Amino acid sequence: MRVMLTGNGAAAWGARLAGVEYLPAFPITPQTEIIETIANWIDYGEFDCRVVMLDSEHSMITAAGAAATTGVRTFTATSSQGLLYGMEMLYTVAGWRAPFVLVNVSRGLASPITLEPDHNDILAARDCGFLQLHCATCQEVLDSILLAFRLTEDNRVRLPAIVNLDGFYLSFTREPVQLPSEQQVAGFLPPFDPQNQGFRAGAPFSQAVAVLGGSAYSYFRYQCHLAALNAEQAFSESAALFSEAFGRSYQAVESYRCDDAEVVFVMMGSFATKAKAAVDQLRAAGQAVGLVRPLLLRPFPVKAFGRALAGKRGVAVIDQNLSPGYGGILHAELAANLYGHSGSKPVLVSFIGGLGGRDISSEEFFEMAKITRQAVADGSAPPPRLLYTGDELREMKKWQAIALQQSGRGDQT
Amino acid sequence: MTELRFRTFRDLPADHLLGTGTAMCAGCGGLEALHEIYDILGEKTVIINAAGCMTLLAVYPFTPFRGSWLYTAMASAPAGAQGVRDALDLLLASGRITAAEDLQTVVLTGDGAAYGMGLSATSGAIERGLDFLYVCYDNEGYGNTGQQSSGATPHGAGTATNKGPLGYPGYKKDLFAIWAAHRPAYVATVIGAEPLDLARKVERAMRLKGPKLILALAPCPTGWDFAPEETVQLGKLAVQCGVWPLKEYRDGTVVHTKVPKQRLPVEEYLKRQGRFSQLFVPERNETVLVEIQAKIDDYWCAVERHGQVEE
Amino acid sequence: MKTASRILGTAFFLEGFEVQDAPRYGAERRGAPISAYVRASHQEIKERGIIRDPGLVIVADETLVPMPAACVMQGVGAQTLLLIHSLENPQVWRDRLNLQGTVLTLPSAGETADPMAWRCIGAACAAAAARLVGVISRDSLGSALEQELAGLKAALMEENLGRAHWAYDLMEPEQGRVVSGRLLPTGPFSSPEWVDLQYEEARVSAPAIHAAMTSEQVQTGLWRTRRPVIDSGHCKRCWWLCSTYCPDGAIKVDEAGLPEIDYAHCKGCMVCVAQCPNHAIEVIPERSVSRTAVAGKDS
Repeated sequence: MRVMLTGNGAAAWGARLAGVEYLPAFPITPQTEIIETIANWIDYGEFDCRVVMLDSEHSMITAAGAAATTGVRTFTATSSQGLLYGMEMLYTVAGWRAPFVLVNVSRGLASPITLEPDHNDILAARDCGFLQLHCATCQEVLDSILLAFRLTEDNRVRLPAIVNLDGFYLSFTREPVQLPSEQQVAGFLPPFDPQNQGFRAGAPFSQAVAVLGGSAYSYFRYQCHLAALNAEQAFSESAALFSEAFGRSYQAVESYRCDDAEVVFVMMGSFATKAKAAVDQLRAAGQAVGLVRPLLLRPFPVKAFGRALAGKRGVAVIDQNLSPGYGGILHAELAANLYGHSGSKPVLVSFIGGLGGRDISSEEFFEMAKITRQAVADGSAPPPRLLYTGDELREMKKWQAIALQQSGRGDQT
Repeated sequence: MTELRFRTFRDLPADHLLGTGTAMCAGCGGLEALHEIYDILGEKTVIINAAGCMTLLAVYPFTPFRGSWLYTAMASAPAGAQGVRDALDLLLASGRITAAEDLQTVVLTGDGAAYGMGLSATSGAIERGLDFLYVCYDNEGYGNTGQQSSGATPHGAGTATNKGPLGYPGYKKDLFAIWAAHRPAYVATVIGAEPLDLARKVERAMRLKGPKLILALAPCPTGWDFAPEETVQLGKLAVQCGVWPLKEYRDGTVVHTKVPKQRLPVEEYLKRQGRFSQLFVPERNETVLVEIQAKIDDYWCAVERHGQVEE
Repeated sequence: MKTASRILGTAFFLEGFEVQDAPRYGAERRGAPISAYVRASHQEIKERGIIRDPGLVIVADETLVPMPAACVMQGVGAQTLLLIHSLENPQVWRDRLNLQGTVLTLPSAGETADPMAWRCIGAACAAAAARLVGVISRDSLGSALEQELAGLKAALMEENLGRAHWAYDLMEPEQGRVVSGRLLPTGPFSSPEWVDLQYEEARVSAPAIHAAMTSEQVQTGLWRTRRPVIDSGHCKRCWWLCSTYCPDGAIKVDEAGLPEIDYAHCKGCMVCVAQCPNHAIEVIPERSVSRTAVAGKDS
């Protein structure tokens, strides 16, 4: 059945079709619609699941990890400030090896507080041990939740997973989404098997005990790494099964019109479809340009990226995030992964764009392609570029004039 | 309420369920209370622990528990209890576990979490009516980090962050009243030095469904500066001087379970602890001593006025 | 011992040395075994952490020496001077430990079960070390003691200074016995046996314990410097108060109602001694107990 759904609606359907039993929740824009939708289904008897409103995201992630550790299929969702409020528990429950899925609806982080998306929230959680899937369409949101449950419950992995979608551009945007039937999903995603783990009388189980000394710590932390690495293989297997079950194919790294491309854009999230539109226009103009997009960011798909970028001469990395004092985070990751391998390497050009939901125009994509081609010709990359126009700065200056106006009050006395 | 199991001292367990070999300080009043409580709770429990001294009860690969344990973080142990309880209920309802496999969810934290960082998560768990027992070992400061002042530190006590002649300027928060204001199933104060009173209260709590608090004053040789062998003596003095009223909140009312017949002057309690030494040397701080005594007297006057005394 | 390392560190510093001193915490609990170390050099110190090849090892609690779990003897080699706070003859310790290197003992002021004697042990150990290394003057030691013990009350300060100077004098014949450490030879070395860690399933590779009461394998009996001993003749077989009150649950009661102390785990807090209504539990110094069974149940 094909229906119109927002990204939030698709996330709720993903959870419902996955048969989640437990949803600890806390509201935050632009995620709230997900938990409201599920809560309403439950209230009207359409879906059997337990929703519990917690006092914070920190509590919410604790409860989610605890329930998954006890042995029920668990789902939760948050965004931005909420993800960071729960940050301590992201690391903690990953260490518990608690298998559950968390949806994050990306939104720029304070300060200044804002509602529109960029990826600093989800990238702040990059190193916690959760797997990360980054969605570009509403359909991918639903599908990625089903994939994520298979990954997180895989005995070779057993790490929690985050499915990320962009606020507004996906969360509140309706698109046609193919809703699989419950039977189809049942064939793809078997019931959660806790593998005899959990808190039960007669089976003493002390989870997350302290360690003294670096050797034990190193072992446990590195096991999280090995588990995450296993998720790349598990992903390709699950994606193959998914394709059989639902007829939609996913790869850890998507290559769009890349085959003969000299220059590619690298982007993640919903803005990547804007890059696809630009690629189509550039192709129509005869330019060999493509798009490379990671769906899986953790584990970092080293080999898939290597294949996708093999033979490319220029790469425009468009980071919708900013690490102050460095620049784009995806740029850093790609640069690190291209280094140390034999063969010729593409020139990497860094762009920062789309912060706080700031739009990226077609002309800007064209310009980035042009700059990247020039960098290939020069054999060196220009300094990183923030996508920011003179018009924007002029508008900003008008606001600043108001913000910096001398108060009249002092003059009255 | 049906007949209680613990009528005399001879009804107290002579076998102990909590394993030895834990890293708590010698003479730890919190461990004393915990082992007395665990004797009664038994092994069909999952202890959900918050950051504090008792984080180190279990250090890989050593655990003192016969049952289960989950370490969470400082602020969110009650939320961990929520997740475990809800999951067990779901598993029971769907027949994936039997009633015999069910566990009681028990939160274990120090005063740092109970009075401060974890209060929001606690309040949430109570308002949701979560069926759990919260055990707090209250050693009146952040003991695990060297006894800095917490929301549970009493007026005038020296702490690692109040080393001056006046000690801690604030007043101990009334966690009992904060809990009672939520109208939970049960709230009780206990102390390891009064094991019979403690046993009765833990048993009562176990029979009730809903949120329950067992708040144990935990004399702390390290943080309060007294010799480890005086832990019990000091605990008894806390009760006899009226500093630590043993009481319960049940069925909407507060009842004092052990009222000191002849209350001892609070100085008897204070002067045995290094943390209060600045009230006595180099000279007596009469103002603070009188104030502390007056607050205790006021408290007990109100108790008598409201008749909050067990028959 | 943390204080001892600070006193010694400051004394070296006052003598113009580059210094590194630090405590090593385990559980960070009062009463638990603790160690601390000091490095001193005329050059900048670049090494960090545990000293693998110590020139001097000082043991304040002799009952820890024979316990492998306490790791007291780790790194002790032919170059190491071992100073043990003990009433026994150094030769007894040499034989007992089968040691090639030098062993000295720092006797107590007297055979005592007085816990207050332990309040000065850090100062005494630091002072003995100051003499043994041979490059710390009495003045520097005195200044270091005053700096590091500044928070103490006057009487305790006096007692500490007295004990320190007594130990400094006592070690005079051994002045300068400590040999300086050497750099690791730069020639052939044995490669570390690095392994490629393999994935193990989450049940195994999470910090989880799927067993009960494994903590009983931890011998907290090592913490004791004094031990409570029940006089079964005087024990009235009451309602096992000692057993109930024991914070660690280390007193079991047999069927006849007689309590038995689990010395493998008793930390020596003496709550039982203070609470026994019939005063049937006495205190004896741990060092007076058979040393092969310091922490064992078979005392």
